[in-house]
Amino acid sequence: MKSRKSSLIVALILGISLLAACGSEQEAPAGDVPRQAEGEGQDMAPLGESAGNSVIVAMGPSSEPEAGFDPAYGWGAGEHVHEPLIQSTLTVTNPDLSIGYDLATDMQVSEDGMTWTVTIRDDVSFTDGEPLTAADVAFTYNTVKETSSVNDFTMLKEAVALDDTTVEFHMAQAYSIWPYTMAIVGIVPEHAYGPDYGEHPIGSGRYLMKQWDKGQQIILEANPDYYGEEIQMKQVTIVFMEEDAAFAAAKAGQVDLAYTAAAYSDQAVEGYELLSFETVDNRGFNLPTIPAGTKEDGTAIGNDFTADLQVRRAINLGLDRQEMLENVVNGYGTPAYSVCDKMPWYNPEAEVEYNPKEAEAILDQAGWKMGADGIREKDGLRAAFHLLYPASDSLRQALAADTQNQLGELGIEVTIEGVGWDTAYDRAQAEPLMWGWGAHSPMELYNIYHTLEDGLAGYSPYANESVDHYMDEALAASDLDTSYELWKKAQWDGSTGITQEGDIPWIWLVNIDHLYWAKENLKVAEQKLHPHGHGWSIVNNVDQWTWQ
Amino acid sequence: MRRMNGRQRTVLAFGAALLFLALITIAGQVFAKEAMATDFSRKNLAPCAAYPFGTDWMGRDMFVRTLTGLSMSIRIGLLAAGVSALLALFLGIVSATMGRAVDSIVTWSIDLVMGIPHILLLILISYACGKGFKGVVIGVSLTHWTSLARLIRGEVLQLKEAPYIKVAGRLGLSPWQIARKHMVPHLFPQFLVGLILLFPHAILHEASITFLGFGLSPEQPAIGVILSESMQYLAMGKWWLALFPGLLLVLTVVLFDVAGESLRKLLDPGSAHV
Repeated sequence: MKSRKSSLIVALILGISLLAACGSEQEAPAGDVPRQAEGEGQDMAPLGESAGNSVIVAMGPSSEPEAGFDPAYGWGAGEHVHEPLIQSTLTVTNPDLSIGYDLATDMQVSEDGMTWTVTIRDDVSFTDGEPLTAADVAFTYNTVKETSSVNDFTMLKEAVALDDTTVEFHMAQAYSIWPYTMAIVGIVPEHAYGPDYGEHPIGSGRYLMKQWDKGQQIILEANPDYYGEEIQMKQVTIVFMEEDAAFAAAKAGQVDLAYTAAAYSDQAVEGYELLSFETVDNRGFNLPTIPAGTKEDGTAIGNDFTADLQVRRAINLGLDRQEMLENVVNGYGTPAYSVCDKMPWYNPEAEVEYNPKEAEAILDQAGWKMGADGIREKDGLRAAFHLLYPASDSLRQALAADTQNQLGELGIEVTIEGVGWDTAYDRAQAEPLMWGWGAHSPMELYNIYHTLEDGLAGYSPYANESVDHYMDEALAASDLDTSYELWKKAQWDGSTGITQEGDIPWIWLVNIDHLYWAKENLKVAEQKLHPHGHGWSIVNNVDQWTWQ
Repeated sequence: MRRMNGRQRTVLAFGAALLFLALITIAGQVFAKEAMATDFSRKNLAPCAAYPFGTDWMGRDMFVRTLTGLSMSIRIGLLAAGVSALLALFLGIVSATMGRAVDSIVTWSIDLVMGIPHILLLILISYACGKGFKGVVIGVSLTHWTSLARLIRGEVLQLKEAPYIKVAGRLGLSPWQIARKHMVPHLFPQFLVGLILLFPHAILHEASITFLGFGLSPEQPAIGVILSESMQYLAMGKWWLALFPGLLLVLTVVLFDVAGESLRKLLDPGSAHV
């Protein structure tokens, strides 16, 4: 009896100590939540009691600009575009995504599209008192061209200041959408720019950076000499937290506005309302349009199943985007039919009606006959593919899983697999991957659908001369309105393109609404459609937010 | 009813533990397909009769997912612990019989592997081997052999002085023949117990590295994946996602321990009185 008891006790102790040994590793991420909240409580004096003209906003940790507030290293002009706040830009994008002016007072482009002449205001100073001149503008653009590691400036040859208020951009190639680039590049002072500029930014924008505690928070203060509209929010504090910590912070009343995800949308937080903003933050997957093969470097490219145009058309018709929205984001989103829905360059011809019968008919006609196990076959080839998704993204995982279910009903076997970004780009050359896109610039169409030197588009193998041609023309157009029409034609010109009736090399599923918990008496100013990236876009116009 | 004696009870405990673990393993295999299935019409359900462990945000049945996850953990544990124990047996014997140079190399590598934190080495090896099933098995196998190797080396050093080994040497058997014919049978009980006691380690480490995102891909039903996903949903009050899988993991680990300890007592009754 004794031995049995002691054996049990030994077993229990062993088990517990084993757990304890490994538990310390397992619990680390969990422990983050209270620790972070505590830390913030200590470090931030005003937390939870915002005065009448200050606001505390919680964003995801990945929104913290790693390289600081330097436009050359992605601030505002990186993968996720937004207004740089600390710096001024030449142009701005209006709520309808047309172009307006910030520093610029006028812009002209030469007939051949190779020279842009921009005149700027003469009444603007940096926050250190020095006036902002065309020389600073030229310096900024020449600098980002030389050093930008995150954005492509190869279309620019050189920027030259003609006098104090006129700057000329000499282009390497015609680039009609240059105003959209000018809307995201913050102007830096030539006299105060150096390697540590990112950490000590000086600009002429609406806010100055007062304090940056890395990994925790950034405090912005209104620029007292700002030349534009009066700034309502005098102080903006941005805190960086994981989703669950941001939710906890909202529940505790510690932040005024916290980003959140659709998974939290069925929760309620007292004193807060759930704000939902429409976006072009889309999710979709690519379908390689060429048969399987290998590239020179040995990586696989192409896919025998998705190379069949009728298969791609059937997939596009056979996906119920509305159901997907309900399933995956609790209805917070809109169906997506292109990478640029609702943008001025969007061609509404891309829209399709969910029609599973038609999809099945297309597959039957194309020779994909239903096999005994419920999966179609054609000449011994199974109607099957791997659908990859980024392993860290549970929303894209759910979209992939729903796609798997819906296509399963059509007789297409989808296997989903989580992958890291280190291998995702290469594997997407041969297998569909669940992507997220959406930018305030038509250049995204070009990046996704236009061919590169090797004759195929970069992210997923596809080529169509006519599509290429329209986009080249669009870039060479002399004014934006003409270019919009050409971008639309690149999508569908009546006989060919990238839509359902065209080659349909990408399937677009949903635009994800960006959700926030906001204090009920906080009035968030009207938002333009948010681009991809659930981060700084929300504070694009934080200066016009008010408390009621 | 006649009371069972200690030995019978130990046999019973051993048998019950093994039976239960075998059941989990088999059930997990049977449900492997259901564990991957998503059904958004039943998402976020709290535990109920149809879904005793509830469902998650993609409507996956957490009961079958947990069973399959544990079954996968047990299979990874089996493979990794097996490889690890064989490695330990081989290195332990070689170290004690093949002379001083080999001995110092082996003890040096034992110290090396033991000197680096387990989980760190595991992550490194798993990542270098491309993560996934393969990465986890290789990672766990290559990090868990050290203490058993040390134990076996000690045993062999002792055995070498035993009269019957000395006699075998005088009779002209080579060290390798002696090791194979006379030492391995003697070491077998230690080896077996060591092997079974490696399981809980292997399983917990498999769970931790998958939890940290360096192991299996998130759509796989692995216990580490389940637990790390559940963290996100705790703040939303979905407690069942973490509780039941966690409890079952503890139970599995404890049962392996019970099995190992019982076996030790059966094979080496002297230790039962320590």
